[in-house]
Amino acid sequence: MEKKLSKKALSKSFHNWYYGHLTCFSQEHMQTFGYLCSMLPLVEELYDNEEDKAKAMNTYTAFFNTEPQLGTVIVGITAGLEEARANGAEDVDEETINGLRAGLMGPIAGIGDSLVVGTVIPILLGIAMGMSTGGSPLGAIFYIIVWNLFAYFGMRFMYFKGYQLGGKAVDFLVGPQGEALRESISMLGGIVIGAVSATWVSVKTSLQLKNDDGEAYLVLQDKLDSVFPGLLTSIFIVACWYLMAKKQLSPIKVMLLLVVVAFLGALTGFFDPGLAY
Amino acid sequence: MEISWLQAILIGLFACLSSMPGMGGTSIGNYTLGRPLIGGLVCGIILGDISTGVLVGCAMQVVYIALVTPGGTVSADVRAVSYIGIPLAMVALSSYGLGAESTEGAALATSFGTMVGTLGTVLFYGTATINLLWQHIGWKAVEKRDYKKLYLVDMGLPWISHLACSFIPTVIMCKLGANVVEIIKTALPMDGLAMKTLFTVGALLPCVGIAILLKQIVKSAVDFVPFFFGFALAASLGINLVSATVVAGMFAVINYRIKMLAVKKAESGGFEEEEEEEI
Repeated sequence: MEKKLSKKALSKSFHNWYYGHLTCFSQEHMQTFGYLCSMLPLVEELYDNEEDKAKAMNTYTAFFNTEPQLGTVIVGITAGLEEARANGAEDVDEETINGLRAGLMGPIAGIGDSLVVGTVIPILLGIAMGMSTGGSPLGAIFYIIVWNLFAYFGMRFMYFKGYQLGGKAVDFLVGPQGEALRESISMLGGIVIGAVSATWVSVKTSLQLKNDDGEAYLVLQDKLDSVFPGLLTSIFIVACWYLMAKKQLSPIKVMLLLVVVAFLGALTGFFDPGLAY
Repeated sequence: MEISWLQAILIGLFACLSSMPGMGGTSIGNYTLGRPLIGGLVCGIILGDISTGVLVGCAMQVVYIALVTPGGTVSADVRAVSYIGIPLAMVALSSYGLGAESTEGAALATSFGTMVGTLGTVLFYGTATINLLWQHIGWKAVEKRDYKKLYLVDMGLPWISHLACSFIPTVIMCKLGANVVEIIKTALPMDGLAMKTLFTVGALLPCVGIAILLKQIVKSAVDFVPFFFGFALAASLGINLVSATVVAGMFAVINYRIKMLAVKKAESGGFEEEEEEEI
Protein backbone atom coordinates (compact mmCIF):
# COMPACT_ATOMS: atom_id res chain seq x y z
CA MET A 1 0.00 0.00 0.00
CA GLU A 2 1.22 3.48 -0.86
CA LYS A 3 2.25 5.38 2.25
CA LYS A 4 1.01 8.91 2.55
CA LEU A 5 1.85 11.41 5.25
CA SER A 6 -1.22 12.57 7.13
CA LYS A 7 -2.07 16.25 7.36
CA LYS A 8 -1.68 15.92 11.12
CA ALA A 9 1.88 14.63 10.98
CA LEU A 10 2.89 17.28 8.46
CA SER A 11 1.35 19.96 10.57
CA LYS A 12 3.16 18.72 13.67
CA SER A 13 6.41 18.59 11.75
CA PHE A 14 5.88 22.15 10.55
CA HIS A 15 5.11 23.44 14.04
CA ASN A 16 8.15 21.71 15.49
CA TRP A 17 10.25 23.56 12.94
CA TYR A 18 8.38 26.85 13.29
CA TYR A 19 9.01 26.92 17.02
CA GLY A 20 12.03 24.74 17.66
CA HIS A 21 14.50 25.34 14.83
CA LEU A 22 16.86 27.40 16.94
CA THR A 23 15.84 26.87 20.55
CA CYS A 24 18.78 24.53 21.15
CA PHE A 25 21.40 26.45 19.19
CA SER A 26 25.10 25.86 19.56
CA GLN A 27 27.94 27.01 17.37
CA GLU A 28 28.71 23.38 16.58
CA HIS A 29 25.32 21.99 15.51
CA MET A 30 23.20 25.11 14.94
CA GLN A 31 19.79 24.00 13.62
CA THR A 32 20.47 20.25 13.56
CA PHE A 33 18.34 19.45 16.61
CA GLY A 34 15.49 21.56 15.37
CA TYR A 35 15.61 19.57 12.14
CA LEU A 36 15.58 16.25 14.00
CA CYS A 37 12.53 17.32 16.01
CA SER A 38 10.81 18.41 12.85
CA MET A 39 11.41 15.11 11.03
CA LEU A 40 10.49 12.91 14.02
CA PRO A 41 6.68 13.00 13.62
CA LEU A 42 7.08 12.14 9.91
CA VAL A 43 9.51 9.28 10.50
CA GLU A 44 7.30 7.85 13.23
CA GLU A 45 4.33 7.81 10.91
CA LEU A 46 6.12 6.43 7.88
CA TYR A 47 8.02 3.53 9.43
CA ASP A 48 6.79 0.83 11.80
CA ASN A 49 10.01 -1.00 12.29
CA GLU A 50 12.66 0.35 14.69
CA GLU A 51 15.49 -0.39 12.29
CA ASP A 52 13.97 1.76 9.51
CA LYS A 53 13.19 4.58 11.92
CA ALA A 54 16.80 4.65 13.10
CA LYS A 55 18.06 4.64 9.52
CA ALA A 56 15.80 7.55 8.60
CA MET A 57 16.56 9.62 11.69
CA ASN A 58 20.24 9.05 11.19
CA THR A 59 20.00 10.92 7.89
CA TYR A 60 19.08 14.12 9.67
CA THR A 61 21.91 14.07 12.18
CA ALA A 62 24.04 15.83 9.54
CA PHE A 63 24.83 19.50 10.24
CA PHE A 64 22.18 21.96 9.16
CA ASN A 65 21.95 25.74 9.23
CA THR A 66 20.15 28.23 7.03
CA GLU A 67 17.88 31.25 7.26
CA PRO A 68 15.05 29.66 9.27
CA GLN A 69 12.03 31.47 7.80
CA LEU A 70 12.75 30.84 4.14
CA GLY A 71 14.58 27.62 5.00
CA THR A 72 11.23 26.07 5.89
CA VAL A 73 10.97 25.19 2.21
CA ILE A 74 13.91 22.78 2.61
CA VAL A 75 12.18 20.99 5.50
CA GLY A 76 9.08 20.69 3.32
CA ILE A 77 11.10 19.24 0.46
CA THR A 78 12.73 16.63 2.70
CA ALA A 79 9.29 15.68 4.04
CA GLY A 80 8.32 14.84 0.46
CA LEU A 81 11.57 12.98 -0.13
CA GLU A 82 11.24 10.95 3.06
CA GLU A 83 7.76 9.92 1.97
CA ALA A 84 9.15 8.83 -1.38
CA ARG A 85 11.91 6.88 0.34
CA ALA A 86 9.39 5.09 2.58
CA ASN A 87 7.53 4.06 -0.55
CA GLY A 88 10.69 2.47 -1.84
CA ALA A 89 11.75 5.04 -4.44
CA GLU A 90 15.01 3.73 -5.88
CA ASP A 91 16.76 7.04 -6.38
CA VAL A 92 16.11 8.53 -2.95
CA ASP A 93 18.62 7.56 -0.31
CA GLU A 94 20.50 9.18 2.52
CA GLU A 95 23.02 10.61 0.13
CA THR A 96 20.51 12.35 -2.15
CA ILE A 97 18.61 13.82 0.79
CA ASN A 98 21.71 15.16 2.47
CA GLY A 99 23.20 16.31 -0.82
CA LEU A 100 20.07 18.32 -1.46
CA ARG A 101 20.01 19.74 2.05
CA ALA A 102 23.65 20.75 1.93
CA GLY A 103 23.26 22.19 -1.55
CA LEU A 104 20.24 24.30 -0.67
CA MET A 105 21.09 25.66 2.76
CA GLY A 106 23.73 28.06 1.43
CA PRO A 107 21.74 29.78 -1.31
CA ILE A 108 18.55 29.86 0.77
CA ALA A 109 20.46 31.43 3.65
CA GLY A 110 21.79 34.11 1.31
CA ILE A 111 18.39 34.93 -0.17
CA GLY A 112 16.64 34.67 3.20
CA ASP A 113 19.09 36.89 5.06
CA SER A 114 18.81 39.66 2.52
CA LEU A 115 15.07 39.27 1.84
CA VAL A 116 13.58 38.51 5.26
CA VAL A 117 16.04 39.96 7.75
CA GLY A 118 17.57 42.58 5.50
CA THR A 119 14.43 43.87 3.78
CA VAL A 120 11.02 42.75 5.05
CA ILE A 121 11.77 43.23 8.75
CA PRO A 122 13.40 46.67 8.32
CA ILE A 123 10.49 47.85 6.11
CA LEU A 124 7.95 46.73 8.71
CA LEU A 125 10.03 48.28 11.48
CA GLY A 126 10.35 51.50 9.48
CA ILE A 127 6.58 51.78 9.11
CA ALA A 128 6.09 50.81 12.75
CA MET A 129 8.54 53.47 13.93
CA GLY A 130 6.68 56.01 11.84
CA MET A 131 3.47 55.04 13.59
CA SER A 132 5.13 55.11 17.01
CA THR A 133 6.47 58.66 16.67
CA GLY A 134 5.78 60.50 19.90
CA GLY A 135 5.71 57.33 21.97
CA SER A 136 2.48 55.75 20.76
CA PRO A 137 2.37 51.95 21.18
CA LEU A 138 0.45 51.69 17.90
CA GLY A 139 3.52 51.05 15.74
CA ALA A 140 4.86 48.32 17.99
CA ILE A 141 1.48 46.60 17.99
CA PHE A 142 1.27 46.93 14.21
CA TYR A 143 4.67 45.24 13.86
CA ILE A 144 3.78 42.41 16.26
CA ILE A 145 0.61 41.56 14.34
CA VAL A 146 1.80 42.03 10.75
CA TRP A 147 5.19 40.37 11.14
CA ASN A 148 3.85 37.34 12.99
CA LEU A 149 1.02 36.73 10.53
CA PHE A 150 3.49 37.11 7.69
CA ALA A 151 6.05 34.80 9.31
CA TYR A 152 3.59 32.10 10.35
CA PHE A 153 1.58 31.88 7.14
CA GLY A 154 4.60 32.54 4.94
CA MET A 155 6.51 29.70 6.57
CA ARG A 156 3.50 27.41 6.41
CA PHE A 157 3.10 28.20 2.74
CA MET A 158 6.79 27.48 2.12
CA TYR A 159 6.63 24.17 3.99
CA PHE A 160 3.65 22.81 2.07
CA LYS A 161 4.90 24.15 -1.26
CA GLY A 162 8.17 22.37 -0.60
CA TYR A 163 6.34 19.16 0.27
CA GLN A 164 4.10 19.29 -2.82
CA LEU A 165 6.55 20.53 -5.42
CA GLY A 166 9.85 19.15 -4.13
CA GLY A 167 12.85 20.72 -5.81
CA LYS A 168 10.63 22.80 -8.11
CA ALA A 169 9.64 24.98 -5.15
CA VAL A 170 13.16 26.31 -5.07
CA ASP A 171 13.30 26.95 -8.80
CA PHE A 172 10.83 29.73 -8.30
CA LEU A 173 12.94 31.36 -5.59
CA VAL A 174 16.20 31.28 -7.51
CA GLY A 175 14.67 31.59 -10.99
CA PRO A 176 14.31 34.80 -13.04
CA GLN A 177 10.84 35.63 -11.70
CA GLY A 178 12.04 35.24 -8.13
CA GLU A 179 15.03 37.40 -8.91
CA ALA A 180 12.86 40.15 -10.38
CA LEU A 181 10.66 40.05 -7.30
CA ARG A 182 13.62 40.08 -4.93
CA GLU A 183 15.20 42.99 -6.75
CA SER A 184 11.97 45.00 -6.59
CA ILE A 185 11.48 44.31 -2.89
CA SER A 186 15.07 45.26 -2.26
CA MET A 187 14.48 48.56 -4.09
CA LEU A 188 11.43 49.18 -1.91
CA GLY A 189 13.64 48.42 1.08
CA GLY A 190 16.31 50.85 -0.06
CA ILE A 191 13.82 53.74 -0.36
CA VAL A 192 12.22 53.01 3.02
CA ILE A 193 15.60 52.77 4.70
CA GLY A 194 16.53 56.13 3.21
CA ALA A 195 13.37 57.62 4.69
CA VAL A 196 14.06 55.92 8.05
CA SER A 197 17.58 57.40 8.12
CA ALA A 198 16.37 60.89 7.33
CA THR A 199 13.69 60.66 10.01
CA TRP A 200 15.55 58.92 12.82
CA VAL A 201 19.25 59.54 12.36
CA SER A 202 20.54 63.00 13.01
CA VAL A 203 24.21 63.92 12.93
CA LYS A 204 24.69 67.62 13.47
CA THR A 205 27.76 69.79 13.80
CA SER A 206 27.93 72.78 16.07
CA LEU A 207 30.87 74.35 14.23
CA GLN A 208 30.52 78.10 13.74
CA LEU A 209 32.93 80.71 12.55
CA LYS A 210 32.49 84.06 14.28
CA ASN A 211 33.63 87.52 13.33
CA ASP A 212 35.15 90.03 15.75
CA ASP A 213 31.77 91.16 17.07
CA GLY A 214 30.94 87.64 18.07
CA GLU A 215 28.39 87.18 15.31
CA ALA A 216 28.42 83.89 13.52
CA TYR A 217 29.02 84.42 9.83
CA LEU A 218 29.28 80.76 9.00
CA VAL A 219 27.09 78.15 10.60
CA LEU A 220 28.34 74.94 9.01
CA GLN A 221 25.22 72.91 9.73
CA ASP A 222 22.99 75.39 7.89
CA LYS A 223 25.38 75.56 4.94
CA LEU A 224 25.42 71.78 4.65
CA ASP A 225 21.65 71.54 4.93
CA SER A 226 21.21 74.10 2.18
CA VAL A 227 23.13 71.79 -0.14
CA PHE A 228 21.12 68.70 0.75
CA PRO A 229 19.08 68.42 3.93
CA GLY A 230 20.71 65.86 6.19
CA LEU A 231 23.98 65.93 4.21
CA LEU A 232 26.19 65.30 7.25
CA THR A 233 24.04 62.34 8.31
CA SER A 234 24.31 60.82 4.84
CA ILE A 235 28.06 61.35 4.75
CA PHE A 236 28.45 59.44 8.00
CA ILE A 237 26.22 56.61 6.79
CA VAL A 238 28.08 56.26 3.50
CA ALA A 239 31.41 56.38 5.35
CA CYS A 240 30.29 53.56 7.66
CA TRP A 241 29.09 51.59 4.63
CA TYR A 242 32.43 52.14 2.92
CA LEU A 243 34.41 50.94 5.94
CA MET A 244 32.31 47.80 6.31
CA ALA A 245 31.64 46.89 2.69
CA LYS A 246 34.90 47.96 1.07
CA LYS A 247 37.40 47.83 3.93
CA GLN A 248 35.82 44.73 5.52
CA LEU A 249 35.80 46.23 9.01
CA SER A 250 33.48 44.53 11.50
CA PRO A 251 30.56 46.59 12.90
CA ILE A 252 32.19 46.56 16.33
CA LYS A 253 35.38 48.11 14.94
CA VAL A 254 33.38 50.78 13.12
CA MET A 255 31.52 51.56 16.34
CA LEU A 256 34.81 51.92 18.21
CA LEU A 257 36.08 54.19 15.46
CA LEU A 258 32.99 56.35 15.90
CA VAL A 259 33.75 56.63 19.61
CA VAL A 260 37.16 58.05 18.66
CA VAL A 261 35.57 60.40 16.12
CA ALA A 262 33.03 61.53 18.71
CA PHE A 263 35.76 62.16 21.26
CA LEU A 264 37.83 64.21 18.82
CA GLY A 265 34.74 66.03 17.66
CA ALA A 266 33.70 66.91 21.19
CA LEU A 267 37.25 68.00 21.98
CA THR A 268 37.46 70.37 19.03
CA GLY A 269 33.93 71.66 19.30
CA PHE A 270 32.81 70.11 16.00
CA PHE A 271 30.23 68.14 17.97
CA ASP A 272 28.54 69.66 20.97
CA PRO A 273 25.31 68.22 22.30
CA GLY A 274 24.92 71.47 24.23
CA LEU A 275 24.06 69.97 27.57
CA ALA A 276 24.26 71.45 31.01
CA TYR A 277 22.55 70.91 34.30
CA MET B 1 12.96 55.45 38.94
CA GLU B 2 13.40 52.23 40.86
CA ILE B 3 12.89 48.77 39.35
CA SER B 4 11.18 46.37 41.77
CA TRP B 5 12.01 42.67 42.08
CA LEU B 6 8.76 41.70 40.41
CA GLN B 7 9.42 44.05 37.51
CA ALA B 8 12.99 42.78 37.17
CA ILE B 9 11.76 39.16 37.15
CA LEU B 10 9.18 39.88 34.45
CA ILE B 11 11.81 41.60 32.32
CA GLY B 12 14.11 38.62 32.94
CA LEU B 13 11.48 36.24 31.57
CA PHE B 14 11.14 38.26 28.40
CA ALA B 15 14.93 38.19 28.04
CA CYS B 16 14.78 34.36 28.05
CA LEU B 17 12.15 34.35 25.33
CA SER B 18 13.65 36.94 23.07
CA SER B 19 17.26 36.28 22.24
CA MET B 20 18.88 34.42 19.39
CA PRO B 21 18.65 31.40 20.29
CA GLY B 22 15.59 32.21 22.40
CA MET B 23 12.85 30.20 23.99
CA GLY B 24 10.18 32.05 22.04
CA GLY B 25 11.42 30.62 18.74
CA THR B 26 12.91 33.00 16.16
CA SER B 27 9.70 34.44 14.73
CA ILE B 28 8.07 35.34 18.02
CA GLY B 29 11.20 35.51 20.15
CA ASN B 30 14.11 36.97 18.26
CA TYR B 31 12.30 38.81 15.48
CA THR B 32 9.36 40.10 17.53
CA LEU B 33 10.11 40.35 21.26
CA GLY B 34 13.80 40.90 20.65
CA ARG B 35 13.38 43.96 18.41
CA PRO B 36 14.11 47.07 20.51
CA LEU B 37 10.87 48.74 19.40
CA ILE B 38 8.84 45.84 20.81
CA GLY B 39 11.19 45.52 23.80
CA GLY B 40 10.50 49.19 24.46
CA LEU B 41 6.77 48.56 24.52
CA VAL B 42 7.17 45.52 26.81
CA CYS B 43 9.53 47.33 29.21
CA GLY B 44 7.26 50.36 29.09
CA ILE B 45 4.26 48.27 30.12
CA ILE B 46 6.19 46.50 32.90
CA LEU B 47 7.74 49.70 34.25
CA GLY B 48 4.54 51.68 33.90
CA ASP B 49 5.64 54.27 31.34
CA ILE B 50 4.64 53.09 27.88
CA SER B 51 5.42 56.29 26.05
CA THR B 52 9.01 56.54 27.36
CA GLY B 53 9.54 52.84 26.69
CA VAL B 54 8.40 53.11 23.08
CA LEU B 55 10.49 56.25 22.47
CA VAL B 56 13.63 54.63 23.90
CA GLY B 57 12.83 51.51 21.85
CA CYS B 58 12.52 53.59 18.67
CA ALA B 59 15.85 55.33 19.30
CA MET B 60 17.63 52.01 19.76
CA GLN B 61 15.78 50.28 16.95
CA VAL B 62 17.59 52.41 14.39
CA VAL B 63 20.96 51.05 15.52
CA TYR B 64 19.71 47.48 15.28
CA ILE B 65 17.42 47.82 12.29
CA ALA B 66 19.36 45.23 10.35
CA LEU B 67 20.52 42.79 12.94
CA VAL B 68 21.43 39.91 10.66
CA THR B 69 23.18 36.95 12.22
CA PRO B 70 24.79 35.27 9.22
CA GLY B 71 25.96 31.80 10.18
CA GLY B 72 25.41 32.52 13.86
CA THR B 73 27.85 35.39 14.31
CA VAL B 74 26.46 38.29 16.27
CA SER B 75 27.70 41.80 16.82
CA ALA B 76 25.15 42.53 19.51
CA ASP B 77 22.74 40.50 21.56
CA VAL B 78 19.10 41.53 21.36
CA ARG B 79 18.15 40.25 24.79
CA ALA B 80 20.78 42.55 26.27
CA VAL B 81 19.82 45.50 24.07
CA SER B 82 16.09 45.19 24.63
CA TYR B 83 15.78 43.90 28.17
CA ILE B 84 18.88 45.24 29.90
CA GLY B 85 19.68 48.30 27.79
CA ILE B 86 16.16 49.71 27.54
CA PRO B 87 15.27 49.45 31.27
CA LEU B 88 18.64 50.99 32.17
CA ALA B 89 18.19 53.76 29.62
CA MET B 90 14.74 54.47 31.06
CA VAL B 91 16.22 54.68 34.55
CA ALA B 92 19.00 56.92 33.28
CA LEU B 93 16.56 59.25 31.51
CA SER B 94 14.46 59.71 34.61
CA SER B 95 17.56 60.18 36.74
CA TYR B 96 18.97 62.83 34.40
CA GLY B 97 15.56 64.39 34.02
CA LEU B 98 15.70 64.18 30.23
CA GLY B 99 12.63 63.65 28.09
CA ALA B 100 12.77 60.58 25.87
CA GLU B 101 11.42 62.53 22.91
CA SER B 102 14.31 65.03 22.96
CA THR B 103 17.40 64.52 20.79
CA GLU B 104 19.57 64.35 23.91
CA GLY B 105 17.30 61.75 25.45
CA ALA B 106 17.49 59.59 22.33
CA ALA B 107 21.28 59.96 22.21
CA LEU B 108 21.65 58.97 25.85
CA ALA B 109 19.39 55.96 25.39
CA THR B 110 21.28 54.87 22.28
CA SER B 111 24.70 55.08 23.95
CA PHE B 112 23.54 53.15 26.99
CA GLY B 113 21.74 50.51 24.99
CA THR B 114 24.53 49.94 22.51
CA MET B 115 27.15 49.66 25.22
CA VAL B 116 25.08 47.03 27.01
CA GLY B 117 24.19 45.28 23.75
CA THR B 118 27.79 44.91 22.70
CA LEU B 119 28.81 43.57 26.09
CA GLY B 120 25.79 41.27 25.90
CA THR B 121 27.40 39.29 23.09
CA VAL B 122 28.96 37.32 25.95
CA LEU B 123 25.46 36.12 26.86
CA PHE B 124 24.94 34.82 23.32
CA TYR B 125 28.10 32.75 23.36
CA GLY B 126 27.35 31.62 26.91
CA THR B 127 23.93 30.25 25.96
CA ALA B 128 25.26 28.54 22.84
CA THR B 129 28.07 26.92 24.82
CA ILE B 130 25.82 25.59 27.59
CA ASN B 131 23.50 24.18 24.91
CA LEU B 132 26.35 21.88 23.88
CA LEU B 133 25.70 19.95 27.11
CA TRP B 134 22.07 19.32 26.14
CA GLN B 135 23.08 18.40 22.62
CA HIS B 136 25.44 15.82 24.09
CA ILE B 137 22.43 14.28 25.86
CA GLY B 138 20.62 14.51 22.51
CA TRP B 139 23.26 12.51 20.62
CA LYS B 140 23.14 9.83 23.34
CA ALA B 141 19.38 9.65 22.87
CA VAL B 142 19.73 9.27 19.10
CA GLU B 143 22.19 6.43 19.64
CA LYS B 144 19.81 4.68 22.00
CA ARG B 145 16.90 5.40 19.63
CA ASP B 146 15.10 7.19 22.42
CA TYR B 147 13.81 9.81 20.00
CA LYS B 148 11.11 11.31 22.26
CA LYS B 149 13.93 12.73 24.33
CA LEU B 150 14.86 15.01 21.42
CA TYR B 151 11.90 17.23 22.26
CA LEU B 152 13.23 17.69 25.77
CA VAL B 153 16.69 18.45 24.42
CA ASP B 154 15.49 20.92 21.79
CA MET B 155 12.71 22.70 23.65
CA GLY B 156 13.05 21.94 27.37
CA LEU B 157 16.62 21.84 28.59
CA PRO B 158 17.77 25.09 26.92
CA TRP B 159 15.63 26.88 29.51
CA ILE B 160 18.44 26.08 31.94
CA SER B 161 20.95 27.83 29.66
CA HIS B 162 18.65 30.83 29.66
CA LEU B 163 18.24 30.81 33.41
CA ALA B 164 22.00 31.21 33.67
CA CYS B 165 22.66 33.49 30.69
CA SER B 166 19.46 35.52 30.29
CA PHE B 167 17.35 35.52 33.42
CA ILE B 168 19.93 36.01 36.17
CA PRO B 169 22.06 38.65 34.36
CA THR B 170 18.95 40.64 33.41
CA VAL B 171 17.48 40.61 36.92
CA ILE B 172 20.81 41.60 38.47
CA MET B 173 21.45 44.37 35.96
CA CYS B 174 17.94 45.78 36.36
CA LYS B 175 18.31 45.83 40.15
CA LEU B 176 21.83 47.27 40.15
CA GLY B 177 21.19 49.60 37.24
CA ALA B 178 19.76 52.48 39.22
CA ASN B 179 22.84 52.57 41.44
CA VAL B 180 25.22 52.36 38.50
CA VAL B 181 23.46 55.25 36.79
CA GLU B 182 23.80 57.32 40.00
CA ILE B 183 27.53 56.55 40.15
CA ILE B 184 28.05 57.53 36.51
CA LYS B 185 26.08 60.69 37.11
CA THR B 186 28.26 61.83 40.01
CA ALA B 187 31.51 60.74 38.39
CA LEU B 188 30.88 62.31 34.99
CA PRO B 189 29.33 65.76 34.88
CA MET B 190 26.96 66.51 32.00
CA ASP B 191 29.01 69.31 30.48
CA GLY B 192 32.27 67.36 30.73
CA LEU B 193 34.09 65.89 27.76
CA ALA B 194 33.17 62.29 28.62
CA MET B 195 29.43 62.97 28.57
CA LYS B 196 29.70 65.08 25.43
CA THR B 197 31.46 62.15 23.76
CA LEU B 198 28.86 59.72 25.04
CA PHE B 199 26.01 61.79 23.64
CA THR B 200 27.78 62.32 20.33
CA VAL B 201 28.42 58.58 20.03
CA GLY B 202 24.74 58.05 20.64
CA ALA B 203 23.91 60.25 17.68
CA LEU B 204 26.52 58.61 15.44
CA LEU B 205 25.79 54.94 16.22
CA PRO B 206 22.57 54.66 14.20
CA CYS B 207 24.71 55.31 11.10
CA VAL B 208 26.33 51.92 11.65
CA GLY B 209 22.94 50.22 11.84
CA ILE B 210 21.82 51.79 8.57
CA ALA B 211 25.18 51.01 6.97
CA ILE B 212 24.90 47.30 7.90
CA LEU B 213 21.61 47.26 6.07
CA LEU B 214 23.00 49.09 3.06
CA LYS B 215 25.74 46.51 2.87
CA GLN B 216 23.01 43.99 2.07
CA ILE B 217 21.32 46.10 -0.59
CA VAL B 218 24.05 48.15 -2.21
CA LYS B 219 26.23 46.20 -4.62
CA SER B 220 27.25 49.10 -6.85
CA ALA B 221 27.04 52.90 -6.66
CA VAL B 222 23.73 52.94 -8.58
CA ASP B 223 22.08 51.04 -5.73
CA PHE B 224 22.57 54.12 -3.58
CA VAL B 225 19.99 55.99 -5.67
CA PRO B 226 16.88 54.41 -4.06
CA PHE B 227 18.40 55.09 -0.64
CA PHE B 228 18.97 58.77 -1.35
CA PHE B 229 15.60 59.00 -3.04
CA GLY B 230 13.99 57.83 0.19
CA PHE B 231 16.25 60.12 2.20
CA ALA B 232 15.21 63.11 0.11
CA LEU B 233 11.52 62.17 0.39
CA ALA B 234 11.72 62.41 4.15
CA ALA B 235 14.39 65.09 4.68
CA SER B 236 13.59 67.50 1.87
CA LEU B 237 9.92 66.89 1.18
CA GLY B 238 8.95 66.03 4.74
CA ILE B 239 6.98 62.93 3.79
CA ASN B 240 6.32 60.59 6.72
CA LEU B 241 7.44 56.96 6.82
CA VAL B 242 4.14 55.32 5.99
CA SER B 243 3.61 57.54 2.94
CA ALA B 244 7.24 57.04 1.90
CA THR B 245 6.59 53.28 1.95
CA VAL B 246 3.59 53.72 -0.34
CA VAL B 247 5.64 55.76 -2.80
CA ALA B 248 8.42 53.16 -2.60
CA GLY B 249 5.88 50.39 -3.22
CA MET B 250 4.77 52.08 -6.42
CA PHE B 251 8.33 52.17 -7.70
CA ALA B 252 8.85 48.53 -6.72
CA VAL B 253 5.76 47.50 -8.68
CA ILE B 254 6.94 49.38 -11.76
CA ASN B 255 10.38 47.83 -11.46
CA TYR B 256 8.86 44.35 -11.13
CA ARG B 257 6.65 44.81 -14.20
CA ILE B 258 9.61 45.96 -16.29
CA LYS B 259 11.78 43.06 -15.15
CA MET B 260 9.01 40.58 -15.84
CA LEU B 261 8.61 41.87 -19.39
CA ALA B 262 12.23 40.94 -20.01
CA VAL B 263 11.78 37.55 -18.34
CA LYS B 264 8.65 36.74 -20.31
CA LYS B 265 10.32 37.74 -23.55
CA ALA B 266 13.31 35.53 -22.79
CA GLU B 267 11.22 32.51 -21.94
CA SER B 268 8.05 33.09 -23.98
CA GLY B 269 6.86 29.68 -22.96
CA GLY B 270 5.16 27.73 -20.21
CA PHE B 271 6.70 29.16 -17.10
CA GLU B 272 4.77 27.95 -14.13
CA GLU B 273 3.03 30.72 -12.31
CA GLU B 274 3.03 30.55 -8.56
CA GLU B 275 1.51 32.70 -5.96
CA GLU B 276 3.93 34.58 -3.77
CA GLU B 277 3.07 36.31 -0.58
CA GLU B 278 3.81 39.98 -0.74
CA ILE B 279 3.20 42.72 1.69
